[in-house]
Amino acid sequence: MQRIIIVQGEHAVCGDPGKSIHTLLGSCVAVCLFDPVRKIGGMNHFLLGEPQPGTHHQDLSRYGIHAMELLVNALMNRGCQRHHLRAHLYGGATMIEGLGDIGRRNALFARQFCKTEGIEVRHEDTGGRLARRVEFLAFEGRSRCRLVHERVAEPPLAPMPSPLADAGELELF
Amino acid sequence: MPAAAAIKVMIVDDQASMRAMIRRALEDYGFRDVRDCAGGDEALAAVRANRVHLIISDYNMPGMDGLGLLEAVRGDAVIGKTVFIMLTGSADRDIVQKAAALGVNNYLVKPFAPAALKEKIERVFGALT
Repeated sequence: MQRIIIVQGEHAVCGDPGKSIHTLLGSCVAVCLFDPVRKIGGMNHFLLGEPQPGTHHQDLSRYGIHAMELLVNALMNRGCQRHHLRAHLYGGATMIEGLGDIGRRNALFARQFCKTEGIEVRHEDTGGRLARRVEFLAFEGRSRCRLVHERVAEPPLAPMPSPLADAGELELF
Repeated sequence: MPAAAAIKVMIVDDQASMRAMIRRALEDYGFRDVRDCAGGDEALAAVRANRVHLIISDYNMPGMDGLGLLEAVRGDAVIGKTVFIMLTGSADRDIVQKAAALGVNNYLVKPFAPAALKEKIERVFGALT
């Protein structure tokens, strides 16, 4: 089985029985989506729900609102239908005391997103104080999650893309 | 140039969460008349019935997509000059070129920060405040 590993701000889509998608979560959330008709699924991994109005961050795919858009569009580009999609939600742990309830709010965002978009949540394993290793067999829509009892650092960041430079390449005004 | 509160906006995106995020961003920047639709057909009927100054439309939608909507708007004698900003995925560069040929006013690559949307609007309308 070939492993596709994703980190914060990344997503992967796969319909190959020989591949699985993996990630390691702390307070971040991963949403696994699966279209049982097309037998294609995908997973993302996001850090926070939504950017604030004044946000100029360049790495916006770390926000759930954009990470979900990218994942759903990637699935639709592979012929999936939004109304077929089912979701599994993972992560959202409180890893460090005193850093607020980021994990809980991330899980809430994912839940709310699925509700708003009419995506059925078939399984959820969120909250707690431990990191999670998640494996998604995207071809079958099956996922496995293992709690990580040893102390782990938050997963590394994905390479920083530069969407602003990208957006300016073909300037109209 | 009109202040944000005087600009009537139509948001078109099949993803309700994205429509809500754009609406919140616009309202934070002072827009008061913000409508939204989930698809091109619905949006075209809505802006024909109730004109707006600005259409912010996703490209990738089931049914009439953003290009179809842009073409229909530009071909309409009444609403043809409505300002149109297209939202595209990063892989849609050819779509941007097609949109430019159809007369799009500007475009924005998803994912985008709210401040980037404001900047694109200001390039067409001038300073909002």
